[in-house]
Amino acid sequence: MPRLSLPRGRRVDSALETPTAPDLLGLQDDRPLEELDDRLRSLRERSAAGSQSEAESRQALYDVDEVLTSPEILRKPGGVISAAALSKAQEQQVELLKDIVGGAGQVVETGGRRFLPSAALFSLSAVPRALGSAVLCLMVSLPFVSPEFSEGQLPPSEFGEDRRGATTVYDLLDNLTADDYVLLAFEYGPAAAGELDAIADLLLRHIVAQRAKPLIVSSNPIAIVHAQNIIRAINRSVAASGNQLQNGRDYFILRYLPGGSLGLRELSENFADVARVSHKGELTGLTFDSLEDLAAIVLIAERAEDMRNWAEQVVSEVGGTRLLAASGYAAAPLAQVYADSMEQVVSEVGGTRLLAASGYAAAPLAQVYADSMEQVVSEVGGTRLLAASGYAAAPLAQVYADSMEQIVGLIVGYRDAYTYGEKLQLNFGPLLLGAHEPDVEPAGEPAAQDEQPSEADAQVERARATELPPPTELPPPTELPSPTARSLPTTTPLPSNTAPPTATDPPAATATLEMVRVVEVSSPLQVRIRRGPSTADDILQLALAGDMFELVGANADGSWYRIALSPGLEGWISETLVEVNEVTRAALLAAQSSASARIPDERVFLWREFDLSLGKNRPRYYQVNRPIADDIPEYVLLRDRSQEVPRLEAMTFGTLAAVLVIAVGNVFYALGALRRRRAAHSG
Amino acid sequence: MGSAGMAAFVAFVVGVTTILSLLLGDNPALFGGVPGSDELARRLALPGDVLLRLVAIVIAVSIVIGIANLLFAHIGRLARGKIYSAILLASFAFTIYWTITNKGDTSLLEAVQVPIESALAALLFVSLAYGGSRVMQKRADVWGLLFVAVALIVLLGSIPLEGLAPVKAWSDWLMAIPVSAGGRAILLGIALGSVVAGVRALLGQDRAYRG
Amino acid sequence: MDETTVQVYSVLFVAITVVLVYTARFFGRRRARRRLQRQLAGIDQIPLWITQGIESSMPLHLSFGATGVGGDQTPAALAEAEFFHHVIGRAKASDISPIVTMSAPATVPLGQDLLRRAWPQGNSFSRVQWYPPDLAYAGAVAASAAAEEPAAHIMAGRFGAELALMLESADRRGQPSLAVSERLDGQAVAYAMADHVLIGEELFAAPSAVSEDGGGRADAVILDVWRGLIILGATVLLMLEFSKQLPLLSWPLVAAVAAVLIVLGAFAYRRR
Repeated sequence: MPRLSLPRGRRVDSALETPTAPDLLGLQDDRPLEELDDRLRSLRERSAAGSQSEAESRQALYDVDEVLTSPEILRKPGGVISAAALSKAQEQQVELLKDIVGGAGQVVETGGRRFLPSAALFSLSAVPRALGSAVLCLMVSLPFVSPEFSEGQLPPSEFGEDRRGATTVYDLLDNLTADDYVLLAFEYGPAAAGELDAIADLLLRHIVAQRAKPLIVSSNPIAIVHAQNIIRAINRSVAASGNQLQNGRDYFILRYLPGGSLGLRELSENFADVARVSHKGELTGLTFDSLEDLAAIVLIAERAEDMRNWAEQVVSEVGGTRLLAASGYAAAPLAQVYADSMEQVVSEVGGTRLLAASGYAAAPLAQVYADSMEQVVSEVGGTRLLAASGYAAAPLAQVYADSMEQIVGLIVGYRDAYTYGEKLQLNFGPLLLGAHEPDVEPAGEPAAQDEQPSEADAQVERARATELPPPTELPPPTELPSPTARSLPTTTPLPSNTAPPTATDPPAATATLEMVRVVEVSSPLQVRIRRGPSTADDILQLALAGDMFELVGANADGSWYRIALSPGLEGWISETLVEVNEVTRAALLAAQSSASARIPDERVFLWREFDLSLGKNRPRYYQVNRPIADDIPEYVLLRDRSQEVPRLEAMTFGTLAAVLVIAVGNVFYALGALRRRRAAHSG
Repeated sequence: MGSAGMAAFVAFVVGVTTILSLLLGDNPALFGGVPGSDELARRLALPGDVLLRLVAIVIAVSIVIGIANLLFAHIGRLARGKIYSAILLASFAFTIYWTITNKGDTSLLEAVQVPIESALAALLFVSLAYGGSRVMQKRADVWGLLFVAVALIVLLGSIPLEGLAPVKAWSDWLMAIPVSAGGRAILLGIALGSVVAGVRALLGQDRAYRG
Repeated sequence: MDETTVQVYSVLFVAITVVLVYTARFFGRRRARRRLQRQLAGIDQIPLWITQGIESSMPLHLSFGATGVGGDQTPAALAEAEFFHHVIGRAKASDISPIVTMSAPATVPLGQDLLRRAWPQGNSFSRVQWYPPDLAYAGAVAASAAAEEPAAHIMAGRFGAELALMLESADRRGQPSLAVSERLDGQAVAYAMADHVLIGEELFAAPSAVSEDGGGRADAVILDVWRGLIILGATVLLMLEFSKQLPLLSWPLVAAVAAVLIVLGAFAYRRR
């Protein structure tokens, strides 16, 4: 590097004790213009143009010292294989250094404006990109091409024990009645439609099927338009039944809320005004005092920040209002934190700290923090300490402090949407009289009942005493529609397989000795019996291990068995889930009646308390399968589900492809970096 | 006081009023049992409330600024012969015409914007996967390796295959502890930065008010 | 802790920060000491990019992302504007104005103002470009990157995963990038795909890292002090808690471990 001698009196203004740009500029000032090369001359002319003060023009030039002695290049190797792996910018920097230092009098050939190579679309470097894209596209489209490509388990028909948040969303909505209003916030744009449309559609259908009325709001104008289109799609799907949702009668779209979090603040403080005007500026005729008049607030959000805004700006303002949320995967990690109780996240802290520290060290700054913050949160019992010291005045302040208790239910992503849909279908389906009721009883149920006031207990007991027919005295099939059974209002409910056998089999004595081929459920999990021989077909009912059904037939390749569910009704079950046996009819009937006998009462009649504590909705007690004279199950049952399963499988394949591309690519580049490093060492 | 000084002063007054109003307002308990503390708290909350509503209105109007900016920028570009700007301006005009003639029909938006954004989202998937595959090219060190490993574990954990159940457990743990801890740490850092930057702005130290 | 206590602490916190900022400004003006401040990776690349831009008459692209003025993102928007101001200040010798893009319409005036002040020699209006949020913005910026051929992309603002589209487009064209996002998903993408990345509150320290502004540097130091205090407090509390759970660990031992941790942390901090 050529040593530059500075004129007397010039201050060396740099930590590195090398001349900086201002010094050089000063140096150039002292030289006649003609002596400068073209580049410096034009620079000087530009920097001298205009009425810049000396101080400004000193700053106007880049710091040459920083270019010449870039710490990126001179610094120590930062990791195992980083020494010789120069980034693109660093390589350019080296080139530039060579130009500046190496070749005196060398002119930089810029070739017009194209100093940097433009898009190398057809060069060799585009090959891995094309290859990766091809793999991704191919694998994602496989499930749509052929049913052969079906990998991965479908999501369950019921939210697991660990998904209490999701169960809460379902149960709360399932307990809506005709005079309930639900605030449904659409906080996602068309970009997230693929992920969240299914959830939005399901939640809307569920609400309107209960005859409750959704009030749609959004702080995103495009989301409002999109919501209208989802409603239009719902209307198209139920056109056959003659039902149609009407704006202003069955649902309301409220005006757009501008200003992000400020708009939400307005909503919470002035809900009466917001609810008065529709998105078209017309009067809705809705009169509310406040958000507390609503049965629930449901948020469908794409981003964690929307979730936070709602929890912070809307829900925290309303004493006791509960926010139900549905989110995409991107927002899930943060939302989950709000939704779950903190202890869950925190309970595992202990011996695992070290790993956590290294795991996040990837973000060098975050590392130190990550541990300590987590620890404060966990070990000091709650986030309040942070809220006091670190967060307090910041806009993010109340996040962890307040909102955690605010979001009571959470559905995440397309897999939950599938489960929700299944559950909805099952609950509204016509064949759910008693037996094989999906087990929606949460683990904490007994504890929850203990907390109920004694009056509630009495109420529950009374209801049981009067409405619950004892299992041994099930009424004959024709009288079966008990007040607690869900059924289509227009159809007579079909009898379930719990019906006493004698009612349908007059020549009992001879028939019981007849041998029949049966399938016995062998899968330890709940299995589904469907309307047709594919996973795309609707579910008729669920079965548990040990349940027996008469085998009636099979499909062409023998992968699905046709079974008799009850007189006149047949269903299909996958052969992988069952074993085929031959038993006497008597044994089959005995097995079926014992299956029905072991269903405990609670499965048929689930009592749940929801203290919505909102205005008129103050404590009430619900049954999950309560009388449904008011419900409109068509909205749920006429949902098009043909693409549901291929879509799920495409997601599985897509993720697999992404894993493949990422793994292969990184192995490739890591090996390359190692090779370069070795070469650098040996060279 | 010059215009810059005036701007700084106004910013200071409005800012301090709002922050005090938000911090002290609507919480009578802050003043103990002093008689009339309810009324005092309500009054203290008022200025902040009014100012925030004003902001909401200004933000709502700002979309017009955005659109005007977009249009003028592209008219400028059209003048320089950029053909794509002509397409943008033409579709703007057509959409306005369509909306007026079809009385607020939004099907055009649904028919154009949703497919295009969905296509972009699909492209994003490819971009992300491809970008993820090149982490080791950009950051060939331990942290890059760790980043890739975590990404792979979380991705594998989300695949519903029975054989991957143990990976799912790791992935859940990663998401629950290190990822959420790190995420919160970053957000905390940003929050701290916001406070300091906010105070700077309040004190008129920010360049925006220094002219 | 009830709401009142939180509010009291909040007031205290803001008050202390105000005092600190004032004090630091007072001293900071006198001795703007560079070595007090951390080195931020990637910031040292900016002069190089500016040089290349000047050399080849290519503009810089500065992106606010979706950061909006008016909500809780305002301080971040101001910090970003300050950062960009100093960057543009260094690129004054160029004959082509930087491009400033954003997807929050409320930020457009801020961008105009920024360019008007920092780039007085040109027409700022058509160089500040707003596009509708998220994917549309990402698509537009990618297209713009093809048309304008920026020397580099400096993206400091609020981005989601759509940042990947912009970074990939830049990468394909050999345009270097520096990215930082206020959102976590965007931050992850920035880490994976940008040539250089700032993390979290480094965004707020960036303005002083590119400027000669002693006051700004002092603010960055305050940021570090706050952060250090929080880490310190957390460590101490954690140790206290551990000492309760494990009676074998005596007080002095816990204190020693805490001290070692703190020294290690400080060492790691200095090394950066």
